[in-house]
Amino acid sequence: MSVKYIPVQWNNNKWKYNAVMLASVFAYLWIFIFVTPDLMSNEGRINGAVHNARAFGSCAFLMLSVILCIGPLARLDNRFLPLLYNRRHFGVMTAFVAITHASYIINWYFAFSPSNKYEALLFSNTSYGQLSGFPFEVFGIFALFCLVILAATSHDFWLKFLTPRIWKRIHYLIYAAYISVVAHVGLGILQDQQNHTFTVIFILAAIVVATLHVMAALHEKKHGDPLAAESGDWVKVCETTDMQEGYAKIAQLTAKERVAIFLHEGKLSAISNACAHQNGPLGEGKIIRCLVTCPWHGFQYDVTNGSSPAPFTEKVPTYNLKVEGNTILVDRHANEPGTYVEPVPLNIQGAAA
Amino acid sequence: MDQAQAIFFAFQIWCSIGALIALFFLTIGIDRIDEDAQGAYVFRLLLIPAILLIWPLVLWRWFILETERDAWPNRHRPPRHAHFWVAIALAVFIPVIILVSLSVRQTWPVDFEPQKLSLLEERKS
Ligand code: HEM
Ligand code: FES
Repeated sequence: MSVKYIPVQWNNNKWKYNAVMLASVFAYLWIFIFVTPDLMSNEGRINGAVHNARAFGSCAFLMLSVILCIGPLARLDNRFLPLLYNRRHFGVMTAFVAITHASYIINWYFAFSPSNKYEALLFSNTSYGQLSGFPFEVFGIFALFCLVILAATSHDFWLKFLTPRIWKRIHYLIYAAYISVVAHVGLGILQDQQNHTFTVIFILAAIVVATLHVMAALHEKKHGDPLAAESGDWVKVCETTDMQEGYAKIAQLTAKERVAIFLHEGKLSAISNACAHQNGPLGEGKIIRCLVTCPWHGFQYDVTNGSSPAPFTEKVPTYNLKVEGNTILVDRHANEPGTYVEPVPLNIQGAAA
Repeated sequence: MDQAQAIFFAFQIWCSIGALIALFFLTIGIDRIDEDAQGAYVFRLLLIPAILLIWPLVLWRWFILETERDAWPNRHRPPRHAHFWVAIALAVFIPVIILVSLSVRQTWPVDFEPQKLSLLEERKS
């Protein structure tokens, strides 16, 4: 939420997060390379470069698995939200570990080929017609491209420039990359692995990732935000008795558009549920002195006008709303981001004040 | 090797075009379309790798923003429903790939208990 862009935004939590992450990566690589050199290799038949390649490759795979678990975990249980907070640095780090893996491979296996080593990588094995002995490297190359694109577009500038919607769509590449890495390992190293420690870790990790995503999808189906009942321009979103002071009720206007209705000091305000940063769910944040804090990365907005307090400039759309009897209705046409809407009093005895 | 050379050459061309676009975008374009970038220079270096790779998208967004065609409501409509399809894709592809990998694996060296022939010979003598 800077006024001006800087290369990387740091704060205490990010330092801690990164310190833990770096320490884990180094610990893993150290254990793999020095402490148990035989654990995951083919009984010492391999040399240093390939051994390092394996250490970095398996490290990147595990990092990717952990990253992919964070999203569904946070959707299943709020207590995992802090992990979501700095996922970006985690992703960039994974891309670097994966690049190191690929460089070891390319500089070892293909360095002495008569042609350019990158061209050799592409065409030294072309048995695309068979599964056994399939050139599994292409899956690695595809995944690496995805990871590099994601890391390269991770700066906040890209979010704003591309819009969160397009940025998110690009970031769905991570799932394609993961499936591709599973194929890279499955048709690659799994085919001639003799020591099965890594095989077991690999299969478990991949199954956990898939299972968590299915669980989160089912959870969303059951507990997702209710769809607003349609009737012309004004849509019913909830009952006055649903409201709780300091919190919001989220309703789905269309498949993509969600509105968050807040009750603050006995008055109702409605803003877009999608944070201007990465479209985090504003309605899941709590209001403190007119400001709601996004649960993902902590941007704040005044619920009466959808604007971040100065010096920040982020804005989200607001919605006109009215109360009829016990029902709260919202105008389906959002106001331009930053438009002030007079809060509507909720003068109903039933509401928990 | 001709095909490999062609692919590699195409990739180099792609990135060279990207480099040219990065040059113009980071010196002229970015100041025009994003006021937060005005006066901020170091972070622009971080944007170069992405421009090399996804320059067509950069050109398209630059055009949209220059011509003020950007529709603000879209910024607040995330594609959340896609999570559902992602879950299905992961749940289908991952088990299938693992099963296929395990079934094409040729396991005979594991079932076969190697014997040290020299030992047998020693015993004979
Ligand atoms: C240009 C891209 C890539 C190339 C050319 C490549 C190539 C290879 C090769 C040749 C092996 C077998 C090494 C051996 O002989 O033991 C391998 C193993 C592996 N690769 Fe990649 N790879 C690439 C990208 C990736 C990426 C992006 C990931 C994960 C994020 C990855 C994860 C792995 C893993 C987990 C292994 C097995 C390591 C082990 O034996 O424990 N690779 N790769
Ligand atoms: S999505 Fe990042 S702060 Fe809201």
